[in-house]
Amino acid sequence: MKRILRDTCILSALMILCVFTVSIIWTGMTDEIKLVLQLFGLSFIIAVVNFFLDEYTNLSIIGSYLVKYVAATCVVMLFGFMVGWFYRSNFWMAFIYVGIVLVLAFFIDAFKTKKDIEFINARIKDKML
Amino acid sequence: MRIEKRQVEGQPLTVIIEYPEWNESVDSLVRKIGRMDLSFVGKTDEGSVNVSISDIYYIENVERKLFLYTKDEVFRFDGTMADIESRIYETGLVRISRTCIMNTGYLSQIRQIRNSHLEAVMENGEILIVSRKYLPDIKRIFKKEGL
Repeated sequence: MKRILRDTCILSALMILCVFTVSIIWTGMTDEIKLVLQLFGLSFIIAVVNFFLDEYTNLSIIGSYLVKYVAATCVVMLFGFMVGWFYRSNFWMAFIYVGIVLVLAFFIDAFKTKKDIEFINARIKDKML
Repeated sequence: MRIEKRQVEGQPLTVIIEYPEWNESVDSLVRKIGRMDLSFVGKTDEGSVNVSISDIYYIENVERKLFLYTKDEVFRFDGTMADIESRIYETGLVRISRTCIMNTGYLSQIRQIRNSHLEAVMENGEILIVSRKYLPDIKRIFKKEGL
């Protein structure tokens, strides 16, 4: 199931990029296409920041998500100001957007980590028997 | 597959593989056994020794110097983590953090401390810190072993 969901997301991203590339060639850049490309750019920056946080920090699961929350919110706010998503009056929305995504990611990650640990320990027990 | 084992004193560890015809499974088996025989040159104050992969509990990078830890000995290793990673493919050794590679053959338990960091408890009682990022890699090794 996980693999199907992951493949669906990758395929959707590829389809969006292909369709938009053709649209840009035929009709030029529209606001919708610009927004989606900006979202791809933002995702890339967040993924890079995430990679370095995972590689160079070794915090608790909650600590790591708090650091990621602060880092991702800063990136989203900076990026949002640069591309004109946020104004001085509504910049706080970045905290909500990032918060919702990270709370979901936290619960999925905590559940997956627990399952992985159970699997590994069960295999070690089997090996010892 | 029939597995026979017997103790022959005074002889080095010898593995004889008999097969009706050479195929992919035999090839894979030979490669796997060959990899178990890999060794790294470890250094001590007395000189250099070959440290077999199967004797290594873990490898740690401490202030840019690599150390090979066996059950009760420590050896220096002149090389990089990348050198080691390029040679441990299809062995039980796996990276568990930015600075540590663990031999899953000596792992006795993985535990999570109160929803916090992860620890690997080794058979000799040593505790290593595991980065959550590498947990799927450890799982992959146990999945492969179960096949």
